[in-house]
Amino acid sequence: MWLGLWLSIFGLAVGVVIGLNIPVALPQAYAKYLSIAALAALDSVFGGIRANMEDNFDNAIFISGFISNVLLAAGLAYAGDRLGMDLYLAAVVAFGVRLFQNLAIIRRYLLKKSYHKKGNTH
Amino acid sequence: MNKSIYVSIIAVSLIFGLIISFQYRSNNDSTAGKTTDRYQELTIEKKQVETDIAQLEEEIGDLTVKIETARQGRTEADDAVISELDKTKLYAGLIPVTGPGVNITMKIDQASQAGMGFYNIRDEDLLKVINDLRGAGAEAISINDQRILATSEVRKAGNHININLVRLSPPYSIKAIGNPGMLESSLEIKGGLVEILAVNGITVDVQQSDQVLVPAYTGMLRFDYAKHVQRG
Repeated sequence: MWLGLWLSIFGLAVGVVIGLNIPVALPQAYAKYLSIAALAALDSVFGGIRANMEDNFDNAIFISGFISNVLLAAGLAYAGDRLGMDLYLAAVVAFGVRLFQNLAIIRRYLLKKSYHKKGNTH
Repeated sequence: MNKSIYVSIIAVSLIFGLIISFQYRSNNDSTAGKTTDRYQELTIEKKQVETDIAQLEEEIGDLTVKIETARQGRTEADDAVISELDKTKLYAGLIPVTGPGVNITMKIDQASQAGMGFYNIRDEDLLKVINDLRGAGAEAISINDQRILATSEVRKAGNHININLVRLSPPYSIKAIGNPGMLESSLEIKGGLVEILAVNGITVDVQQSDQVLVPAYTGMLRFDYAKHVQRG
């Protein structure tokens, strides 16, 4: 599990470094979709961590969820733009809510674990 | 199985980092983006202003042409008025004129002056000469540099003859502009004035000339009673 955490941090750092140094700049028009995609990716990551905590982490679900979340979020934002509707708000709200839920669950697991450890040692 | 998990974790975190950094960069560029928006706005404005300028320049050209034509029209009108005035002055005898014509000198015969001496040049003689000249188409006549106008009098006053209220005495020098041949023949015709006056002891000498200068009327024009009638 700790290896996974370090790996993810490492991947994040590499991604940030590449993203900051890559000469290709994304057009301004796609920034909105990308931000929604980032939110979806964040949701997937938290979902993955939570699944890991619950010990039912499934790689296929994790990857497919990540991709589908990103695509759906970006597509929703795009469709909203076409229809003249702030449809991306739906994605923001949904992912935001899930983000907090996942965070809450992770927090609880972590707290439970620390209690467990305490009880074990003492 | 475990390895694929790590690979997927790395891939997801990598993509996530990429997205975040991209987003960060594009957000940082957002000021630049705004400036591009502003730039576009200003470009549109500039284009509008440029078209405005082009239109206004066109207008300037139009108005300049109009001013030019108006000015031309005005100068034409001025010229017309001036030429009309000149013509009127010419007709009225208020400007000196020159042209072909005759120089006539009238004086009393030496013999008659020495002998009989009773006959002087009378106002009628001058009037007859003027009348004949006019009949022959004289356009301008002066006697001793007094221009003969429509209102000029030729009137005996004692030993002198008044023309334009100026006292004249012989010999009389008459200048007339017109067809020289016609003017001369009108006076020298058989039974004409030259013959008649010669009988009375007056020598009339008629000389054709290519260049006769008839001076302008120099006195005052007075129209105290005559008022012009509005035409129209």
